[in-house]
Amino acid sequence: MRPRALQPPTIQLGNSGIDPPAQVPQRDIIDAQMAFFGTGCIINEQVILQDQEGVLAWVSERLAVAMRQAEDLILRDYIVSAASTINAGGGSNADNPTNLGVSDFSLVATTLDTNNAYKFMSGIEGMDRFGTGPVRSAYFMLSSTELQSDFDGLTGSGFLSQWNYPTNASALPSEYGSVYNIRILTSSEAPVARGVSANGQDVYYNTVVGKQAVTHINQDGFSMNLIYRDPYYSGMLAQNATLAVKFAQAQAITQDTAIRNLLSTRLASLVI
Amino acid sequence: MAEYSRLASGQTVARGVEAQPAGQTAVVVPFLPDFIEIYNRTRAVAGSGVTRAWWVRDAGQGSAFLDTFGTGEQFIAPVGGTSSGLLVSGTGFSTIQAGLSLQYGPTFLLGGSGGIAKTSAVLLTVTTTADHNLTTGDWVTFQNLYQTSTTGMQQIAGIPFMVTVTGAKTFTIDWVGNGSNLTAITAGGLNTLASFKKILYPVLYAPGVAYPWKIDVGTTTTIHTTAPHNYVVGQQVGFRIPAPYGMTNLNELPNTTLPGFPIYYYVTSVTDSKTFVINVDSTQFTAFTVNNTFLSFPGLKFAEVVAAGDVNTGGWPYNGGDLYPSPRFFNGFTSSTTVGVSTINGPAISGAFSNATFMGFIIGSGVGGTTGDVIYWRAYMHDINYL
Repeated sequence: MRPRALQPPTIQLGNSGIDPPAQVPQRDIIDAQMAFFGTGCIINEQVILQDQEGVLAWVSERLAVAMRQAEDLILRDYIVSAASTINAGGGSNADNPTNLGVSDFSLVATTLDTNNAYKFMSGIEGMDRFGTGPVRSAYFMLSSTELQSDFDGLTGSGFLSQWNYPTNASALPSEYGSVYNIRILTSSEAPVARGVSANGQDVYYNTVVGKQAVTHINQDGFSMNLIYRDPYYSGMLAQNATLAVKFAQAQAITQDTAIRNLLSTRLASLVI
Repeated sequence: MAEYSRLASGQTVARGVEAQPAGQTAVVVPFLPDFIEIYNRTRAVAGSGVTRAWWVRDAGQGSAFLDTFGTGEQFIAPVGGTSSGLLVSGTGFSTIQAGLSLQYGPTFLLGGSGGIAKTSAVLLTVTTTADHNLTTGDWVTFQNLYQTSTTGMQQIAGIPFMVTVTGAKTFTIDWVGNGSNLTAITAGGLNTLASFKKILYPVLYAPGVAYPWKIDVGTTTTIHTTAPHNYVVGQQVGFRIPAPYGMTNLNELPNTTLPGFPIYYYVTSVTDSKTFVINVDSTQFTAFTVNNTFLSFPGLKFAEVVAAGDVNTGGWPYNGGDLYPSPRFFNGFTSSTTVGVSTINGPAISGAFSNATFMGFIIGSGVGGTTGDVIYWRAYMHDINYL
């Protein structure tokens, strides 16, 4: 549910004693469908009996990692599908989108500010420490690790490395730095569309979010279930155990004006 | 073992343009089959065409055994195979596992005799040198649309388009094809570098972002998008139209009468998968145009429409099949523009944000019969496959 704004009463009452017409409060409905996910492994009892590596333990760990990755990937792909895009145009590589220029960060922050998006972080006040500089209040941007060399290239023209913050107390482990009103988190799993820019280069989805932009919905008791079934349940000879994970989630854009995918290409060569 | 196998059966309707050979028809099942068999009731009654077809995984993606009325058994080779003897050309069966976005097919160069013609005010026609192997309903995105270093169609590069296949080497896309700032891609220029990529899974979450290419003004306003929008009646939508496209009047913000509050519209009717109508009188609006200059393409922002909610309270309408039907989306795996593919999920409120990831199989155009044919199918995933 997203309440609609009421008309601000900017017209004076006058002295007639007559009340102005009442307003009808309205709200928009945002519906989302819950979806269930799961995967598992079938393990023959002979493996469990004879494998010296504690197979149930490490398969459980792998399943847990797979499930957490799935949660992130689902939300990532949903945002790629449902959030507006802005093609970067401040770079110099004459592509569409271009590589990231500092003006692109400014444009996105200006857009979100104008749209009354809520920032995630308040600023970091400057301190008397050599090589550091103050950090503005900021939105978060999730980017690919492949863009880190491009960010480094903006040092001196707007980019401030996380290491150059006055204090790292509020910096996240994945935080790479900031440009103007945007603090950049990098991940190797950030969305990249390979070879689809106007000139055939990789396109990076740099998701910039305000607080009220998106919601992640869990089902009660279904954030994660690890399910183990003994071989006893697998047939007349009880040969196969199963290990599985199951979870449920949904997501919705709750305020589309408070989120933008800043699309960009890359200036620096990619080194793998 | 017979404990972990999967068996499913059902019926579907061949999808495509009416009274035409069907294009691709997607069947959603909760596993990846290694055996598929279909029976075409309509073809059997008519006594023509492919009445039965089947597929085994070991035969390869895109292949099929088929029984054509009056001819007998034939075989369609896998994608990339050749035809001879009882081998026939066409597209058979393929399995599909659509779970991650931003997956693309290989770069397909238009080639020496390839190009893009400015067909009309509503169409561009793409010609390829080799067979493009696309099916109506597929989505593509273009790259390197240069005729010379300063002319061409780079303005449309990067936008997703649904294709309508008109021949083995030709297909059309919806766009203002007679725009004065577009230069046709023709042989003799840089056309050999021009290319497209197929978007493998374009709609895994819906509804989402769509790209208008034409907006009809009037007391109500009709929006034409380059690929399926997946909106329904009652959908709440917002627009982001950059200044070069003219009709900024539709934009969510700024709002001069209620500062800071986005302006949304409601979809009042859905003409087809790429056309819908919203409840706004646009007769006084600035005209919408996509006639951007070629040299403006670096950093060019696209006009967009996004889903922002809905006012619906009920589920998807009953259509004669299962009660409480699942949402249907035009996900790149149907050639129809009026009937989408059912999701694997359960019922949902019409217009809700839904997960449309799926797996199952595609009945290709070589075995799918004619649009509207009733097809019975069964699909197996065996416990084990010995090679």
